[in-house]
Amino acid sequence: MMLEDELTVSTRERDGVAIIDLVGDVTTFAEEKINAAYREVTNNGARFVLLNFRQNDYINSAGIAILIGIVTEVNRNNQKLAVSGLSQHFQKIFRMVGLAQYAEIYQNEDEALVGLQKG
Amino acid sequence: MSNPLNNSMDLSFPSELGYEVIARDAVSAFARRLGLSAERVEDLKTALSEACINAIEHGNSLRPDLRVFIHCHLEPDRLVIEVIDQGATEFVARDNVLSISEKIAGLGSLRGMGLMLISQLCDESSFVPGPEGNCMRLAFSR
Repeated sequence: MMLEDELTVSTRERDGVAIIDLVGDVTTFAEEKINAAYREVTNNGARFVLLNFRQNDYINSAGIAILIGIVTEVNRNNQKLAVSGLSQHFQKIFRMVGLAQYAEIYQNEDEALVGLQKG
Repeated sequence: MSNPLNNSMDLSFPSELGYEVIARDAVSAFARRLGLSAERVEDLKTALSEACINAIEHGNSLRPDLRVFIHCHLEPDRLVIEVIDQGATEFVARDNVLSISEKIAGLGSLRGMGLMLISQLCDESSFVPGPEGNCMRLAFSR
């Protein structure tokens, strides 16, 4: 039985920010898609990166490990990272694991675009 | 569900990643019917998923021929959930769980946040002796 999660990952640019849209579940099965999207925006010279979450019913510790890996790369590449679109529950989870220390959390994409370039 | 003796539920599934989502959905529906708030149900969903992943990946060493068992029952003021594996690997508590800054500094695996999340999201969590393997017990106050 195949139980891989459905996650759609796409990239776009808006107001100088590279946006990675993550629609669906973020689990161990998401690693290749998320890392490929990050490599793509970095190779295109992104300084500001926004992980824009949508319809994320399930983000588990394996998914969080992937995001910690992205934080590591963002630090190495002197980029700035933010996240938007998380439910209240997953905002709490991101704070619990410490991700919020490394990526500002915004309610939505518009707030993130303003906040990312202000700081 | 008016009879207190009926306030329990059992599930089992193969040790394959993805089945924890099915278990989570069933147990969270059960918890909602027992009166847990929406916020506590969200906490339960994450904690239970992590306990199941731990049983699949570590307790049963990702062997699909082994199964994970879940037993839920209602106590007067709380819901208790037991996640039981078949003990291909005995759980050993680690004293030195790395912080996120240590993980980012490359001092160890990026994984390993699951047990920390469980301990923070449940009112009580512990490993107790299981029938043939590891048993993680989670409790959520109503």
